[in-house]
Amino acid sequence: MTDSVIEDVKLAVDEACANVIKHAYRGDTRQKIVVKFKLRKKGFEVIIEDSGIKARPELIAGRDLEEVRPGGLGIHFIKRTFDVFQFDEKKTKGNRLRLIRYLGGGNEDRNLGQ
Amino acid sequence: MKIEILDSKGLKVMSVTGDIDMYSSPDLRKELMQLVRKKVSPLLVDFRGVSYIDSSGIATFVEGLKNMMTYGGKLRLIGIPEKIMEIFCFAKLDRVFEIYGTFDDACNN
Repeated sequence: MTDSVIEDVKLAVDEACANVIKHAYRGDTRQKIVVKFKLRKKGFEVIIEDSGIKARPELIAGRDLEEVRPGGLGIHFIKRTFDVFQFDEKKTKGNRLRLIRYLGGGNEDRNLGQ
Repeated sequence: MKIEILDSKGLKVMSVTGDIDMYSSPDLRKELMQLVRKKVSPLLVDFRGVSYIDSSGIATFVEGLKNMMTYGGKLRLIGIPEKIMEIFCFAKLDRVFEIYGTFDDACNN
């Protein structure tokens, strides 16, 4: 991955962990977040696990980017970097978020500024 | 993150260095809102030393701008590093904020 992509991944994982603290742990920074990563043939995978309040994926949406107000950008920053954003429904307690960025296929230099 | 409030050519400049993230954003918000409460305008924010910004940092500036707009205040961002500018563009905030390359450009507008 290029340095630019690495910076995007850093921001996206940071935003995902911030969401865990804010929503799953209701602001309690003492709780544990487990971040794992795997480099596979198809892409780079990050798994973020917590034992907090269950997320409701159907309610997770960023704000309309045309609307100017504080908040609601974090989810956009995650989804612009990762091709897959998926909660593992099999996890009974807490959450397991799987993020995958596909490598190759010409998307390495996708212009995120457009 | 470090914040300095400077007076330059009669203008208030908030110089921010380091990472703006969910831990440092509350400090940034406190400093920014103090200036907003005083109805400072224009307020120049020097981004040249900012190494990282997340959505909480962006939200802080959006909140500051919206508050300043209530009294016709101007918030001008200076010297945003390329990678951070990319984030502003992605969020379509380059159309919302007044963004300048240099201090002189911001002063002359």
